[in-house]
This record gives sequence, structure tokens and C-alpha cells, in this order.
Amino acid sequence: MAAPSIEDGVAPSVARRRRLPAAVILGGTILIAMILAALMANWLAPYPFDQLHVRDRLTGPSLAYWAGTDEYGRDVLSRTMFGSRLSLFLGFAATLIALLLGVPIGLVAGYYRGLVDELLMRALDVVMSFPSLLFVMLILAITPPGLMKTALVIGILFAPPVARVTRSVTLDLMTGEFIVAARARGERAPYILLREILPNAWPAIVVEGSLRVAFAILLGAVLSFLGFGVQPPAADWGLMISTSRDFVDVAPWMAITPGLAMSLTVIAVSLLGDGLREHLDPKFRSTR
Amino acid sequence: MTVYVLKRLAYIVAIMAIMSGLVFLSTHALPENTAQVILGDYATPETQAALEAKLGLNRPLGLQYAEWIGGLLHGNFGRSLILEQPIAPILWAALAKSAIIAVAAMMMISIIGIALGVAAAVNYKRPFDYIASALTYVGLSVPEFFWGLILILVFGSYFQWFPTSGYSEPVDGIGVFIAHLALPVITLTIGLQAHVSRLTRSSMLEALDSNYVRAARARGMPERVVIFRHALRNAMLPTITVLAQDFGFLIGGIVAVETIFAYPGVGRLLVYSLSRHDLPLMQAAVLVITAVYCLANLAADLLYGVFNPRIRYGRAVD
Amino acid sequence: MKPLLEVRNLTVRYRTSGAAVTAVRDVSLELALGRAIGVVGESGSGKSTIAGAILDLLHGDAAISGEILFEGVDLCRLNSKQRRKLLGRRIGTVFQDPFTALNPAMTIGRHIAEPLIHHLGLSPKAGLDRACDLLADMSVPRVRDVAAAYPHQLSGGMRQRALIAAALACEPPLLILDEPTTALDATVQAQILTLLADLRRRKDVSLLFISHSLGVVREVCDDLVVLYASQVVEQGPAGEVLVHPKHPYTKGLLASLPRLVVSGRAVRLPSIPGQMANVAQPPQGCFFEPRCPYSEARCKTERQALLDIASQRRVRCWKAAGIGDWPVVAKGPAAAPSFSRSDTLVKVDDLRKTYGASHGLDAIRVDFSGRGPSLSYRPKAVNAVNGISLSISPGEVLGLVGESGCGKSTLGRVILRLLQASAGSVEFDGVSILHQPEKALRQFRRNAQIIFQNADSSLNPRLSVGEAIERPLALFNLVPTADRRRRMEALLDMVRLPRSYQRRYPHQLSGGEKQRVAIARALATEPKFIVCDEPVSALDVSVQAVIVNLMADLRDEFNLAYLFISHDLAVVAQMSDRIAVMYRGSLCEIGVTAEILRRPCHPYTEALLSSSSVVDSGSESRSARPRLFGSIGTEDEQASGCRYQARCPYKVGKICETLTPPLRQISDCHSAACHLESEALTPSLGDSAGSSRRTTPQGPTPRPSDPSCDRS
Repeated sequence: MAAPSIEDGVAPSVARRRRLPAAVILGGTILIAMILAALMANWLAPYPFDQLHVRDRLTGPSLAYWAGTDEYGRDVLSRTMFGSRLSLFLGFAATLIALLLGVPIGLVAGYYRGLVDELLMRALDVVMSFPSLLFVMLILAITPPGLMKTALVIGILFAPPVARVTRSVTLDLMTGEFIVAARARGERAPYILLREILPNAWPAIVVEGSLRVAFAILLGAVLSFLGFGVQPPAADWGLMISTSRDFVDVAPWMAITPGLAMSLTVIAVSLLGDGLREHLDPKFRSTR
Repeated sequence: MTVYVLKRLAYIVAIMAIMSGLVFLSTHALPENTAQVILGDYATPETQAALEAKLGLNRPLGLQYAEWIGGLLHGNFGRSLILEQPIAPILWAALAKSAIIAVAAMMMISIIGIALGVAAAVNYKRPFDYIASALTYVGLSVPEFFWGLILILVFGSYFQWFPTSGYSEPVDGIGVFIAHLALPVITLTIGLQAHVSRLTRSSMLEALDSNYVRAARARGMPERVVIFRHALRNAMLPTITVLAQDFGFLIGGIVAVETIFAYPGVGRLLVYSLSRHDLPLMQAAVLVITAVYCLANLAADLLYGVFNPRIRYGRAVD
Repeated sequence: MKPLLEVRNLTVRYRTSGAAVTAVRDVSLELALGRAIGVVGESGSGKSTIAGAILDLLHGDAAISGEILFEGVDLCRLNSKQRRKLLGRRIGTVFQDPFTALNPAMTIGRHIAEPLIHHLGLSPKAGLDRACDLLADMSVPRVRDVAAAYPHQLSGGMRQRALIAAALACEPPLLILDEPTTALDATVQAQILTLLADLRRRKDVSLLFISHSLGVVREVCDDLVVLYASQVVEQGPAGEVLVHPKHPYTKGLLASLPRLVVSGRAVRLPSIPGQMANVAQPPQGCFFEPRCPYSEARCKTERQALLDIASQRRVRCWKAAGIGDWPVVAKGPAAAPSFSRSDTLVKVDDLRKTYGASHGLDAIRVDFSGRGPSLSYRPKAVNAVNGISLSISPGEVLGLVGESGCGKSTLGRVILRLLQASAGSVEFDGVSILHQPEKALRQFRRNAQIIFQNADSSLNPRLSVGEAIERPLALFNLVPTADRRRRMEALLDMVRLPRSYQRRYPHQLSGGEKQRVAIARALATEPKFIVCDEPVSALDVSVQAVIVNLMADLRDEFNLAYLFISHDLAVVAQMSDRIAVMYRGSLCEIGVTAEILRRPCHPYTEALLSSSSVVDSGSESRSARPRLFGSIGTEDEQASGCRYQARCPYKVGKICETLTPPLRQISDCHSAACHLESEALTPSLGDSAGSSRRTTPQGPTPRPSDPSCDRS
């Protein structure tokens, strides 16, 4: 009989905390600013990203060039703003793909258990056994590059962790008797998955998703840093930092500006994710 | 426990088999094959076909695969196309150099990460905790290569304490040897210890809130004993898991770090082989790195099993 | 002589987000050397907070005022370090949950030796030896093995014994126990209580025993303190308070306890209406007044003080001397339909459910004992339901009672086809259920519903009450969309919840309210049969009575049949027409309630009856209680033989180990599965001792286990 703790006879006056945590507000604001900058780069950026000002190359921050210029005289700030497009797109696209693939797999594995679960999990295990960077590099090395393709590959790579988290949340929820009650009414699997489980699972999924966005941005940056992403003269943060390595003594702003932008974006996404977790389900503990 | 170990070993073998197959297939899916790479600009359909026949590239894939695996098991990793040397010695030398960084970084990550995590948990909601958490965020969010660049800027250009590239043999002076390691290891540590400290903090908080800790306090145990013997012992389990996960990040980090600091390790070798399509080298490097990763995971699993009494001693006693 | 522990005017205030809550308000009590005092209250009464205050284990933002004098020293004046030194050395503590109170990474021996090594300076080896001695004191068999074991390898009862041993290691004069038996089975609980009584005598230790259960406290304690909503409402010698309660709350609590007596279908339990006062916003006057049947104007406006009404007796009620018993509830409708046993609604025949406890890769075993390692594939199987046959008539309540792990929940779910049966058949309304495709079961699903123990998890947190109740209506298309709302409100009325609750979400309801919503949801499809899986076990005692009464009323109104599953024999006796006793997947005994209670024929039934701590059973019957060994789950699965024999005090020998006793009919409406001659065993309700025992050789061919017999 393990008697669970005796219930509280007092009517709980627990109201859902309506106030958003500071993390969400802070992270959300920064992220929105970034997204706006990306979307409206064409109007906001002082210069086109590939416009050369050869006479002004390698100059430091000034009124004309707020973040200085690079080795070809291109405005670093503009390039950074345009660069946010690539990174943000990659981050969100890859995560979307990961969610579209991973959430259904996780739901099905968690709901049906048994053989289906075993097979799916073993397959995921195999994919997760390879170091992620290696996997992506390999694929990108042997096939022609492209932003969409990179997003696809990263999305596939990230689907297993998303599936894992979804599965674990689903397993937790399945122990809830409201699921058994639903089956006792004769509800079918689609209803249970979509109307009983998913509405209760999405907080955890959202949190994992925000984590994946951050990882995708970082992974994309590393890839282009190593030369496997977009090619010059595209304005990409990783690429910019990579080329700036040779000029780091004379023109540190070439590296610092995109680096700061990237860090800020990832911090914003992480803050948003953590804040959401706090807000949506204070009992949810991450074991990442 | 024995069964646990055996199962894990069997699993690793299976993974390695699959990975070797995948690597093999992917290198043979490239639009240009080995023959073309060797011939370079001199490739014409005839010369290419002739070279392919000579190298045995038109034989069934299965046969080539078996040959390759056979060679591997004998320590023969083939020849690099670009460098025109046997791969095995190059690979092992590079691996050794990477290993030094990896081991040093893992040690520092573990020590610093766990220490920070415990300190933050014990000082929950006090200034130290907030500062540590903020630093953790920064550590998590900034990619290694950017840290690397900043460190190059600070220690290479301004302070000039450490060399910013290359490698030096220990025989040529321990001091210089360590100096060359310093920046790469520090770069890796800053980013990765954040995962560990964050998880340790939350596991410690959970452990400190648990019933068995309450019972230990009720038995009169001083706080020091409670923190280390009771809470930390149990909080270590999830930490071991995340250390294993971190190893994957570490590999990625090593690749980036070796590139930025021009450190002649296996990561740099890998990038080189991939960008130049040096197929045999690619195959060998990817395989070896994956093997190391799998073994590290195995070690983590075993460590977890040792620390978790439920796995070590399964059966009921009553 | 100075008391060992004296609490004076203890008040504990918390500052939670926003409001300040006074969890303990001006509580005083005294514990003399060698005595035992019980602190009783429901959840929210503050009883655990008192222990927390004594032990300095409250959360940081608690403000404590008052004095706690232990051996003359005020604990509140000491700093943490000094306090911590006393703990373990002079004050031992046992907490509620033996499953989580042990460090999973430390052996039992280490746990017990830890305080010895730290406080008394023993060496690790000496500490371990002493730990083994202590375990032996706790009647633990094979002490060396247990001491070397890790917590997950032991059962709940064993763990609790280990925790008691650890608490008593340094021989402290005071032992504080916070609900030590709540998480344990009834039979194990009885063992632990016997042990505690024994320890009190032998070791001369004083007890502070905190519990929600009046029966348990009666067993162990000399004096009693009753708490309600952070205040003491009554104090005095236990025997006095329990037999002659003075405060309305105590009266109500005692009255609403279900008893192990035969009551008819028309009887309803007295209950305390309303809910526990909100300690965050207590009422102006007497805290209990909103629920009190004797309240007057004065009660609403004046805060009540604790009055001395006799030596050692204190009550917080100015009317205490002048009031009578708690009002008895009027009997239910006189025309409560009786049912005819000749109709059968649910018929279960030789139902089995086997779990492979390990299968797939886990079942591969490696054995090194022979020459070289050998592999074998040996999946472990657990017979959760081991060939059960029974039937339920329309409108009848069949109670199913047994301890944890006996399979009663599994049985309920297999009958409803929520779990796949391994063998056997289930017929509902004449239609065989088990082998139909799911699509054909629509009618069945409508007519057979289920209610669960844990109201928290039986409601979807994201659906409002109204939405949750309306869903079955929509699913089965029972009412046109326009009328659904009205029907949902009618259902809310039926379970006596205000209609405004339809917009609330589960986290805004109390446990009793949530359970009522679950009942309303089950009723929405107009079922004929409801499986009630421990529906009141997780509720406070005063709320239990309300829900039990509600379920009885609904049964009468809609002629519902219940399979009422519970570990609590008293509640089952209250609700059920017939009772089935289950042990490790098999039926031990089944019969009409009166027969089971008065003339149990199976040793396990007898053990259950005597283990149920009933408030007014005196300590005389305790000594006559048969002693049980071990606990469920510790025996191995065996192919044949009685499943109870390893623990049975009446075991007669080999026959019990080899031959599975069939369910033999003892009379109409009463069957038992035991090799003993079917004469009654020692009745446990104070009657004279039972008769002699003789075994029968191979009894007569068993008749089908459920003859038609009319309710007497």
C-alpha cells in the first residue's frame, strides 16, 4: 500500500504565477531585437554586407564605421547584422526539423512502449553514439554545401535528443491515471496523444527546443569557422571570426563584434529557455 | 554487474561495426573518388579507369570493406593520398597530442565544474550563487573558438604569457611544453565546465533537499559530513552522465581549438583530410575518433555502475 | 520530577510568497521520562512542524517563538551547531518514508554505525558490530547480511526497523517518530508497533509519536494531544480522550472513523462537513466553528482559549462540558434497493495476469559457477493475478481487500481490459469481454468505469472541471451539444460541488473535491459498474467519510455495482455487501461481510483483522494477535503450494508447501482457501478463543466459488 502523502485537506490557493520571470523578459527582449535586426538588415544596416571600401580597410571603430572595417574594407557592423540572418535561420530551421522529427517519435515510443520503444530507442542510440560535430562535418564534406542542407543535417542530428526528452515526459505522463481513465472511456491513441499528453508535454518540449536553438547556432558557427558552412563572401559570424584570426593583432574588432553578437544571441536564447522552464513548470528539473 | 559490463561491451562492438560501415560508405559516396584525387588535374576518363583498376576500386564494395577492416585490425590504416605516407604513424602521433589536451581538459573541467557546482548549491540564493550562475551562462553560450580568440588577444598579444600556436615536445623542455598546452586547455575548460557546474549545482540542490539528508541531519551529522558524504555522493551520479555527454562536446571543441591554435592534433588532421578529400585519411581519422568517443562513453557507463549500488548489487536480500 | 521535554507556547510562522502563515499556534505539551505522548492531527494541522521546530529542521524562513525545554535546556536558545550535537545523541528521530529516508549509496550498517562513530567515538569496526546488535534487537533476521545490504535491497518494514535502530543507536532518552508507519502495509505496521511497545519497556525511552491515525496512537501512547489547524484543541491521557472526547472536533473525528462492524446498506458514516480552516487566513473566532454542529454566536466572534476541565485534561471549547455526542447521520433512504444475487453483472472466471519481470536482454543470465561461463535465458515471471474467479450482481458492492503487491489493482484493471489478461475470461452483462476487438467494446466502456486513488493524477491538469466532465458526454454522444452544459452541471450537483467549480482547474481544488470531480466524470456515461481503486486512501479521515457516504448514496440512487478495492478493511467493511480477501494474486477468502468479520476462516484474513488498529480495541486483544513473519514480496515465486505458507502461523507442514489449497465452500456465501478444517479461527473482535485445528486430507472437489446466496 505505499500510502502516498496524505492529501491536503485545505483548499489550495495556489494561483499560477502570473508574473514572467526576469529571465524570460530579458532573454526574450534581446532575442526579439536580434530577430528584428536580421529581418530588417536591409534597411537598418549602414552598408551592404559586401561593399568594399578598400581605402578604409582595417580601420577601427569610428563614426563612419561603428564597428570598424575588415581586411577588404567592408563594414563590420553591417556584416554582423546580415550574419545574424544566417545564424538565426539555421538555429530555428534546424530546431523546427528536429522537433518535427523527434516529437512524434518520442510520443509514439513513450506511448506504446514494448518492442516499438526498444527499436526506436536503439536506433536513436546509434545516431547519438557519434560525436555530433564529426557527423555533420563528414556529411557536409562529402556533399555540396548549402544553408538548407546544413539545417537539415543538424535537424536530423538533433532529433534524437528531442525524441529522448519527449519520450521521457510522455513516460512520466503515462503514469498519470487520467490516461488510464481516458482509456477506460475507450479513447483512441490519437486523441490521447494529442489532447491528453501533448498539452501536458509541451512545456518540456519547448525548453528542450530552446536549448536546441542555442546548440544549433553554436554548431553552425563552428562549422562555418572550420570552413564547412557557407563560403565567402557571405557574411557569417563563424566565417568572419575565422578570417579575423590572421588580423587579430591589428584589428581585433573584426573578431569581437561578430563574437559578441553570437554570444549575446545564444545567451538570450538560453535565458529564454530557462525562464520558460521556471514559468511553465517549476517542478521540472533538468538533468542535462 | 558483470552482465551490465558485458552488455555494454557487446553494444560498443556493434556500434563500431556500424560506424565503420557508415564511414566506408560515405567516403565511397563522394562525387570524386580516390583515383580522381590522386590524379588531380591530370584525370581523364582513361587514366582514371586505369588507376581505379590498379587500386582495386572497381571491385565489389563488400570486398573493399572487408579488406579495409582486415587492414585496420593489423594496424594498417592505409596511405594518405596527399601526404603520401602510411597513415598509422601520423594518426597515432596526432592522437597522442590530442589526448594530452583532452585528458588535461577533462581533469580541469571535472574539478572546477564540481567544485563550483557544490559551492553554488551550498550558497544557494546568496551572492556567490548568483555570480556563479551568471558566469555559467556566459561560459555556456560563447563558442570555444571565440574564447580562443579572446585568449589569443589577451595572453598572446597583450600579456604575451603563452604561445598562441604550435606544439613542443616534452623533451625539449617541460616548461615550454606546458606553455603550449595552456591556451588550448584553458579555452576548452572555460566553456565545458559550465555544463558540469550547472548540473552539479542542481543535483546537489535536489540531494540537499532530500529525505535522507534530512534524516542524516537528524542523526546529528555536522553539515560538512552531510554535504560531502551524503549529498555529493548521490549527486555525482547525474554528473558522471553529463561528463560523458561533455566528452562529445569536448571532441567538437578539440577540433575547433586545434584549428585556432594550430595545434597538431587529430582534430586538425581531420579537418585537413576532410577539406582536401584525402579519403583514406578521412576514414581512418573519423573511425579512430569515434572509437575513442565510444570507449569514453563505456568508461562513463562503467563508472556509473560502480557508483550506483542498484546496478552493482541488484538482488534483494530480505 | 522535571519532564524530559517541555514545549511552552510554541508558535511557528512562515513567510511564503506574500502571506504569512502561522503553522503552529501557541502549542504546549509535556513529556515525562518513560512516557509516550501522541500528537494527532490531519494534514495542515501543524503536527510535523512541531517536530521540525524541535529538531531545527524547518526551512530557513520559519520564525519560531516560545520555549522548547529538553532536559532543562531551551533548545531555541542554542545555535545550530549545539542543536546538531544533541540530535542523534540525546534525541533520536524516525521519519515517515522509509523508502527515501535512507541514503541509497550507503549500506544499512553504515547508517546505524554513523551516529555511533560520530557521537560516541567508536571505531568503524566496533560501530558495525554494535549496529548488528541493534538490528538483532529489532528482531531482524540474518543481521550481518542486512547490515551489508543497500537500502534498495530491503523491504519497507526492514528499512523502517533499520531507521529505528539508527535512531536508538546512542540510546537517547527521547525518540521522535513522525508518521513512522503510514507508508507501510497494515500487517507490517502491526509488527513495527509491537516492536515499539517492546522497546519502550526494555530500553526505557520516551516517545513523541506524531500521526494522523487515532488507532495507531492508541496502541503506543499514554497521553494525547489533538491538533486542529495549528492549535491544540484537546489534551489528556489517551484512554480518556479517545473514549470520552470533549472537543467537537475530536468527537467528529472519532465518529467518522469507519469501524470493523457490520453495517447495513442504509447506514451512513457520521462526517465532519466542510474543510480544514485555512491557516493562512484563519477565522475570527473559533477555528473549528464553521464545521461545528454546536456552534453559537459566541463561537463566531471569540477566539477560544485552552481550558482546564480536569487534572491533565484541557479542551479548547467553552461548551465542552455541555455537549453530547457527535450527531449521528440519519439513515439513508429506507427503500434502499437490495439486490438479487441471482442476476450477474460481472463474471470473472479463472482470470490470470502474469508479468515477465525481466525479459528481452535483461533475462539473459550469466553463470560462472560451472566450468567456464554459461549463458541462460531465464525470464522471471510474476503472477500478479493467479486464477481468480468471482461475480458481482447489479447494484452490489464487492469489497476487495489486500496489502500492497497483492494484485488487487491489477485485477480491477484487467477486468476493465485496461491491462491484457494472460488467461481466463470476463463476462459483462452476458457478453465476453476479453477477446473482443477494441471497437466492439464501446458499450462496455460506457457501462464500466473506474475511479482512482490519487485524485491528483486522475485529472488532466490542463482541462477545467467542466471540460473534464463534458468529455465523456461528447465522446459517447449521450446528449446533444446544446444540452451538455446542463448535464455537466447536473453531475456537479450530484456530487455536491458548486456549479461555479466548472471553470476551476485541478490545482485549485482540494483532494476531496478532486475525487468528487473524478466521480462525476465516471458517472457521466451512466455506467452500471464502477471499479473503485482505493478511492479514499489518499484522503484525510474526515474527508473519507464524506466521500464514502457520497458513493453509497450514488450507489442507491443509480443502482450501481462497485468493485471496491482498498487496503483498509474498515472502509471496505463499511461499503461492501461482500468482501474478497486477496493475497499475492490469489483469493484467500470471499464471503458476505458479516461472515468475514465475525468468522474469518483464513489465517491471512484473521491477521488483517487484528492488524487493523481500531480505536476501541483494547490492548487485551493485541496479545492474542497472531504474529506474522516477513512481508509480501520477499517470498519467491513457487509453482505450487499455498502462497501464504511462508508467513502463516497455522502452517501444518508439507501439505501447505506442496498443494495449493482450493477455494472451499464453508457455507452459503462464504468460501476460503486453506487446508485447515473449516472451523472458524480465533475471531478477533473480543470473542473467546477459537477451536482446535485439524487438517483435512485432500478436501472434497471444490464447488464453483460463488454460489447464489441471498443477502441475509
